[in-house]
Order: sequence, then structure tokens, then C-alpha cells
Amino acid sequence: MLSTTKKLENTGFSFDNCLRNRFLEKNGFISPKGKKTGTTIAGVIFKDGVVLGSDTRATDDTIVADKNCEKIHYLNKNMYCCGAGTAADTFQVTSMVSSNLELHRLNSGRPVPVIVACRMLKQMLFRYQGYVGAALILGGVDNTGSHLYCIYPHGSSDRLPYTTMGSGSLAAMAVFESKWKPDLSENEAKELVKDAIAAGIFNDLGSGSNVDICVIRKDSVEYIRPYECLNEKGIKRGNYKYKKGSTALLQSHTIALHLEEEIIQTINDGSSMDTS
Amino acid sequence: MALIELCHLRSNVNIIPFQEVDELIPSVEQMNLSDSLRLALSATGQPIDFKQFSHTENGKKINFEFQHGTTTLGFVYQGGVVLAVDSRATGGSFIGSQYMKKIVEINDYMLGTLAGGAADCVYWDRVLSKQCRIYELRNRERISVAAASKLMANMIYSYKGMGLSMGMMLAGYDKRGPSLYYIDSEGTRIQGKVFSVGSGSVYAYGVLDSGYKWELTDEEAYELGRSSIMHATHRDAYSGGIIRVYHITADGWKHITNQDASELFYARKTKDL
Amino acid sequence: MSILEYNGGAVVAMKGKNCVAIASDKRFGIQAQTLSVNFEKVFEISPHLYVGLPGLATDTQTVYQRLKFRQNLYELKEGRSMSPKAFCAMLANMLYEKRFGPYFVEPVVAALDKNNEPFIVAMDLLGCMTTPDDFVVNGTCSRQLYGMCEVLWEPNLEPDDLFETISQALVNACDRDAVSGWGAVVYIIEKDKVTIKHVKTRMD
Repeated sequence: MLSTTKKLENTGFSFDNCLRNRFLEKNGFISPKGKKTGTTIAGVIFKDGVVLGSDTRATDDTIVADKNCEKIHYLNKNMYCCGAGTAADTFQVTSMVSSNLELHRLNSGRPVPVIVACRMLKQMLFRYQGYVGAALILGGVDNTGSHLYCIYPHGSSDRLPYTTMGSGSLAAMAVFESKWKPDLSENEAKELVKDAIAAGIFNDLGSGSNVDICVIRKDSVEYIRPYECLNEKGIKRGNYKYKKGSTALLQSHTIALHLEEEIIQTINDGSSMDTS
Repeated sequence: MALIELCHLRSNVNIIPFQEVDELIPSVEQMNLSDSLRLALSATGQPIDFKQFSHTENGKKINFEFQHGTTTLGFVYQGGVVLAVDSRATGGSFIGSQYMKKIVEINDYMLGTLAGGAADCVYWDRVLSKQCRIYELRNRERISVAAASKLMANMIYSYKGMGLSMGMMLAGYDKRGPSLYYIDSEGTRIQGKVFSVGSGSVYAYGVLDSGYKWELTDEEAYELGRSSIMHATHRDAYSGGIIRVYHITADGWKHITNQDASELFYARKTKDL
Repeated sequence: MSILEYNGGAVVAMKGKNCVAIASDKRFGIQAQTLSVNFEKVFEISPHLYVGLPGLATDTQTVYQRLKFRQNLYELKEGRSMSPKAFCAMLANMLYEKRFGPYFVEPVVAALDKNNEPFIVAMDLLGCMTTPDDFVVNGTCSRQLYGMCEVLWEPNLEPDDLFETISQALVNACDRDAVSGWGAVVYIIEKDKVTIKHVKTRMD
């Protein structure tokens, strides 16, 4: 019992299976790779804040694994982060950093500066030497203004007025380079980001489906999902439904579920913990 | 051609003086048209090692899976020879076809079965068919199964080690009676009473050996072949589809049945219960 | 050959109208050799929550046992059953913990949540979740399943129609895969009952 309790308390990655997996690989069994985002993500600083954008395709080799996935991750009230690379890594890295940022905010009692999130992310990625494959665009607004960072899987970062990442980054950057100007209005910035993501969607095979956009202002956030559907699915003209009874059965049984009565109690004595 | 000598290029590399090109083109382009036994070799004079091409420059795997799993069997008994085969063709774990014809009719008295590389088997069976016909025309009598199988074995043997992959049975009826040969790309050629070839052969042998005897009636023989293949398709992932049964007698070959392996499985199961 | 093809197997889950379905094949094999035809890859976690774990069979069993262990601890500690969302987070974290030496399973979760809303999730072997509003597939014939589901699925299927749709998708996909099939089982999860149907499939 002691050993199991202790085991649960262990944190960080577990390398238990590595020996076995290396053995399997040595014997010619190919190890499958995780899902990739195969992405176009982009961000721009405008007059009053930051606009982040992403496509919504996730790929598994040549298969479109998800046609409408979420690539703009919540970090804190005043900042969001777009992720490209190994999908599991971008999700886990942002959600872990998000928890730490929230603790930081509760501890310090003020909005977290964006540079803190940038530092946390790059230190974490640097620690794993690029093996955690997350390429991120971090955008947010704090007391010192609007910030946009671009963080690479190995842990380096850039601070930029506009940036793109992922397999469609070249297509998106081409749009930025030709149309970007300082002090964009909010609408101009949204349209510019949409055009950049659209360039990725149409020119990069790893990116596709819709454009998601997240606008972060001084004291508000607007997450628009989808901002624009560029690839509507065609309407099925025919009906391919199978008639009832088409499938041959060998055996069938039913388990009846009796719902126990459910009592919902709401407790509100006015002294609930302040989690705001 | 000092340059050729300087580069240590061998004479069968296609770098030759301009005036000689005309002579070369027909022989390369029509190599196996003029002589079906001559396959074109690669420009380096060596057979292609497909392992060299198994990955792209980016390290991505290229699929070169010619091999397909199979179950084929044949046996000689008092009534002649029975051949039974499955019909599944696979590329990796993908099922490419459930209706492949794995028995080739070489002439009215001889049949061949395929296992291994489909293209190899089909090509060399076609060549064999031609050779057998030529023999008939030259000698005014049908070729014996022994001779035909030796022709086949010799043709394949000349390409040994160059990547051919086939395991076939040749069955027929000649003046010496019914006979059955096993031939493979390693150069093996053996005569026997009972053979099974392919990835499912171990399962087929299990049933076949327990049920085989010389005195089988025709119906019993068909049933033994069928049920051996059926059990093999059940256990072997790379065998399945329909079960084809052929029978060869003194009157030549006859196609007996085509039956769905899965339907047969359920028919047996309900009968047993 | 991929490690995921060593034993073979496929799982699919679909949303319907106030119901959800999850189905798997029943083959257990070692490469070409079929060893068993009643190896189910779908497990009951709670009455309205099922998980399918196609992949390497040893990991199917290990992951299921570790999930059950953690779920029991959760329920003892919290005194309530696990919500599908919490279960998925637990599973995803369990897989991600082994980011650099993963379990070779690609889970599929199907459930009705506490408002009886259909809930489906698919993960890759590192625990990255996808939550579409139609269907999820995983396993050796996932490509074939994507094709079948994309054409057969439509919104608001009643339980009976959902059963036909998911069964036909799975059966026909398995017919084009050498290492999955040999029987299939379908779970239709509704508010007041769960129907378990064993479907007749090709056995070769």
C-alpha cells in the first residue's frame, strides 16, 4: 500500500515503458507517432491589443484526424497561446503553464505579466531539449501593454509585432509581409490575421478547415470560433442509411439502468471562497 | 572510349558510342518480348535490392509489399488430383481483393497454384504455358507434368537470388497418371502426394493430414480440400475470401466449386452445435 | 509493421439522438495468427461510460486495469461517480505521463453525461483528445472506418438507426483489414438502458 501511495505522488514523466518499447523497435516494429497539428497559426499586435488566429485541422500522417480542433489555448484571463507541433504536447504544456499562472495570479493578486508566461513556457521547453514538440505563439495584454511572443520547441523565443508558426507559416507570413502596417485598427488586424490563416489553409496541405480568432484587449477577450468557415462540407444529396434489420445478429441483451434519485443542493452562505 | 575505362564502368552499363545505340534499343526495349526468359536487368547489371528503396530521402517508409499471404493445397488420391485455394490478396494488412484467382490453367490437363509475389507467379505461369504448347507442337504429344515442372524450376533457378518470390504447385494428368509437384523460387522441385503452400499452410496441413487417405472418394476429397482451406482462412489473417476447388482426372481438369469461406464457416458451426 | 498492427483491432464510437454507441471487433491475434475471437476491447467504466482501447493487447489490459484502479480511488475519495470529462482528463494525463515511452493504445470514450447529452472522445497514444460532434474511430482499420462513417453517419440518429449505422461501418471496414474482425460487439447507451449486441461478421 505504501508503495502504491508513493507511486501516485511521483510527478513528471515516467520512463517505465522505454526499455520495452526500444526492444520492440529494435525487432522491427515501428513505433507510431502522435497526432500532429500540421498547423498555420499567427498573431498580430494592433492598436489596443493582440489578435491571435489559427486553422482547425489536426493530422495523423496523411489522415485528417480532426476537422475542427481548438488550437488557441487559454493561459489566463489576459493571455492566450496558439500551439503547433505534436498536438498532445501543445495541449499539455499550455494547460500546465495555465495552472501555474493561475496560482501565480492568486499569490500576487494582480494580472500576470505576459513575459512571465513566456519565461515559464520557454524554461519548460528548454528543459526537454526540443523533445516536447511544441511551437507556440503567445499573445496577451498586461499593465505594460500588448505583447506577442513566438516560442520554439527548443526553448528560444522572439518578441515581435507580428508572427506566424507551423507548417503553413510561410504562406501566412507572406500575407503579413505584404499587408502589415503599424497601428492597425482592431478590424484591420482581424481581417489581416484571417487572410494570413486562409493563405495557410489553402496553400499548406497540413492546415485546413476553419479560421479561429481570439482578440485580447486591455480588459476584455473575444474568442471567435469559428471566425470564418472557409471549407463548408457539401450537402449529401442521397441517403445511405441502412434499413433496420440489415445487420445480422448473433446475440443481444439489454441492461436496464435504474436511476437513483438525484438531489442537487446549492450552498450559498455568502462566504464562498474567492476564486476570482 | 577512354572515359569509360577511366571510370571503370562495365560494358553492360548503357554508356556506349552513339552509332551503337540503334542496335541496343530493340534488345533492351523488347528483351522479354523476343525471349520471355530474359528479364531486363537494371542499368548497374545487378538485380535491384528493394531494401535500398524502402525509405525516402526523408526517412519515410515506402511500401513495397509484393508478398501476399495465401493458403493453397493439393493432393493426389485414387481419383486423381484435387487442388483447393483461397482468394485473398493483401498489401500489408490492407485487403486488396477477396476474389483473386490463385489457380492458373496451364493447359487442359495441367493446373498451377500461386503463392508469394503475384506478378512473379502470373508471369512465369504464362511463360510455362507457352513453353508447354511449343513442346506439344514440336513433339506431337502432351508434355508430362515432370517435364513441365522441370522447365519451370530451371527457368526460376536462373534468377535465383535476384528477388523472385514464389511457391507454386503444378498438378496434372499425363500418361504416367496423376502427379503433383512443388516448386519454389529457391529452386526446390519435389514430387509428392500432399502439399500445402502459403502463410496458412500450417493450418491447412493440420486438417489435411488428419483426413487424407488414398482411398478417398471424389466427394470426400473435395470436402477435405475445402475444409482444410476453410480452417486455414479462419486462423490465418492473410487468407480468406472464396474457396476454389479443382479436380484433375484422365479427362483433364474440372472446376468443382467456388464457395465463400465465411459462409462455409457458419454452415459448419451450426451443423456442429 | 507498426506495433499497433501486432495484435490488430478497431473501435468506433458515434453520437445519436439522446444516445451514443461504441463498437469494437473481437479478434486477438499475433500478427497473422488468430488466437481468439472473443477478445473485447470495450470496457464498462460506469453504467453510462464506456472506453475502447484498441492497440497492443498487453497495453489494452494494463491501461484498463490502471484506469479502473484510479477510478476506484477517485470514487472512494470523492464519494461520487466519475464524470466522462473527469475520466477523459485522467486517461489523457495517464497517457501523457508516458510521453517518452508510451502505451500503444489509442483510446475511444463514449458516454452520456449527467444531462444525458452524448459525449465522445478519441485520443492518440500520447493522450491528445479530439472531440468532434459526429463520430470517432481508432485502430488498424481507422482509414476504412473514416470512409464508412463519413458516408453513413447523419445527425440525430435514433438508437435503432444508430445501431445499423455503426455496425455496418465497423463490419465493412473490417472486411478490408486482414488483422481485425472475427466478430464484433456494439453497445448502444441510452438514458435508461444499455443494449449489447454481438454482430455476425466474416470469420476469415
